[in-house]
Amino acid sequence: MASINLIKSLKLYKEKIWSFDFSQGILATGSTDRKIKLVSVKYDDFTLIDVLDETAHKKAIRSVAWRPHTSLLAAGSFDSTVSIWAKEESADRTFEMDLLAIIEGHENEVKGVAWSNDGYYLATCSRDKSVWIWETDESGEEYECISVLQEHSQDVKHVIWHPSEALLASSSYDDTVRIWKDYDDDWECVAVLNGHEGTVWSSDFDKTEGVFRLCSGSDDSTVRVWKYMGDDEDDQQEWVCEAILPDVHKRQVYNVAWGFNGLIASVGADGVLAVYEEVDGEWKVFAKRALCHGVYEINVVKWLELNGKTILATGGDDGIVNFWSLEKAA
Amino acid sequence: MSEFLNENPDILEENQLPTRKEDSTKDLLLGGFSNEATLERRSLLLKIDHSLKSQVLQDIEVLDKLLSIRIPPELTSDEDSLPAESEDESVAGGGKEEEEPDLIDAQEIYDLIAHISDPEHPLSLGQLSVVNLEDIDVHDSGNQNEMAEVVIKITPTITHCSLATLIGLGIRVRLERSLPPRFRITILLKKGTHDSENQVNKQLNDKERVAAACENEQLLGVVSKMLVTCK
Repeated sequence: MASINLIKSLKLYKEKIWSFDFSQGILATGSTDRKIKLVSVKYDDFTLIDVLDETAHKKAIRSVAWRPHTSLLAAGSFDSTVSIWAKEESADRTFEMDLLAIIEGHENEVKGVAWSNDGYYLATCSRDKSVWIWETDESGEEYECISVLQEHSQDVKHVIWHPSEALLASSSYDDTVRIWKDYDDDWECVAVLNGHEGTVWSSDFDKTEGVFRLCSGSDDSTVRVWKYMGDDEDDQQEWVCEAILPDVHKRQVYNVAWGFNGLIASVGADGVLAVYEEVDGEWKVFAKRALCHGVYEINVVKWLELNGKTILATGGDDGIVNFWSLEKAA
Repeated sequence: MSEFLNENPDILEENQLPTRKEDSTKDLLLGGFSNEATLERRSLLLKIDHSLKSQVLQDIEVLDKLLSIRIPPELTSDEDSLPAESEDESVAGGGKEEEEPDLIDAQEIYDLIAHISDPEHPLSLGQLSVVNLEDIDVHDSGNQNEMAEVVIKITPTITHCSLATLIGLGIRVRLERSLPPRFRITILLKKGTHDSENQVNKQLNDKERVAAACENEQLLGVVSKMLVTCK
C-alpha cells in the first residue's frame, strides 16, 4: 500500500472550511465565517494573497469554483445567492479580486456551484430541491437562467459537470444522483442512480476520454462507482452500480474526487483520507490515512498538480487546508 | 455563532451507569451541594489537596450527601420520578490531573442536556423524560487525540410532536458547545416514539443542515432560550 505524507498545513480559518478549488496556481477557499481566502500555491511557496470582501455574503460560503482556465470565481452561500468575482487589472502587481455579479433565484441555502468545461454554463443547487443552469458569455458579467430543474425530492447537495460533454450530475439528500442532459436548450433528467442508503454528498466523473463513469460518496459510508451502459428506447440513459469500493469509511463520506491519474480519493466525518485504484477491473485500497485533520471532520478533497506532481489537498472543520503527497511503496 | 453559555464542565466520579431509580436517589443526594457553605468547603479542600481521590474529600462528600437526605426536594408529579429542582454537583476549575485521560461518560452527557427547557412547557427535558440516562451511549477512550462518539436516543412527549427536530437541535447545539471537538454526536428518536422517525433522524444528523439552521437568527433565538436553564 502507498503512503500519504503531509507536505504543508495551512491554518486559514477559525471555523469550518466547506470548500476550495484550485486553478492557475491559486487555491480559493470558502468558510463558515463568510470569507473567501485566496492562496498562491507555486513551487514550495504558499502565500495568502487576497481576502475577498466579506460583506458580499451574509452567511457561510458553502462552495467555490473557478471557471476553467480563467481567474473568474463563483461562490455559493447559505444566504441563497451566488457571487461572481473577477481579477482586477491593476497597475501594480498585487493580486486583487473584485465582485462582478450577485446571482439570485434560489429560495434557500445554495449548496453547490459548478462550471461546465467550456465555461459557458454555471450550475447551482440548493436546499430548495432545485438545480439551476445559468448561461453566461466571455466576460462572465451577465447570467441568464436557462433551466430550473426540480426533480429531486429533497435538498440538492452537489453538482458536477462531465469533463468534456455537456452532462451534469447532481447529488441529493433524497439518496440519489441524477444525470442531466441538454435537448435543444431544454435540460432533462436522463437517469436516476438509485442504490445509496443515505444522503449522497458528492459525485465526480471519470476523467478518462470516451468513458462515462461516476463515483459518489454518501451518508451510508460507501463510495460507489457507476457506469453508463447505453440508452434505452425512451432515450433514457442506463447507469449501473459497477462497484462499491472497499470498506474504509466508518461514517458519512462528504466528498469524492476522481483524479486524472485514475485514482479516486474520498474523505468524511471519520477523518480518514482514502485513495482507491482500479486493478484489472477490481477496485482496491491504494492508500489511506487516519486523523488527517486531527479529531476534526474532513469536508473536501481535491487532486491538484504541484511542481509537476499530482497531489491531494483536504479541508476540514478545523479551518485547515492540508496538502498531501502519495508515495508508492518500494 | 456567538457564545451564549458559560461552559463550566461538571466534575463527576466515574462509576457504573446507574438505573433511573438510582439516578433519582443520586439527585437527592446531590441536592445538598447547592448549599454555599458546602461548596466553599469542597473548594477549600481541593486547594489543599489537588485531587478528587483525596480520602478526606471523599469522606466529607459522603457526610454531605447523608445530611442532605433529611430535606428531599419535592417531586413535580407521581409519574415523574425526577425532582423539580435537581441541583448538580458543579465545581469551578479542574480537579483532574493533567496526565489523566479526560474521559467522559453518559452521566456527564446527561447532566449537560437534562436541564434544557422544553420549547413549549416550563419543564426540562430530563423532567419530561425526553432524555434519559439509559438512552445515552458514550464511546470514549479519554485520549484527546482519538475520536469519540456519543449516541443519544430521545423520546418526544407525543408521537406527532412537531418540536422533535427543535429539541434535537437544542441538544446538538448544547453538546457541540460543551464537548471537545473529538466527539461525533448522533441524535436519534427512540424507535417507535414518533411518526416521522426516519425523516427527523436524518435531519438531526445532517451537519450541513444543522450549520445552516444555526445561521437562522429566529431559530437560534429559540434554541438559546431553551439553553438558558442549563447549569
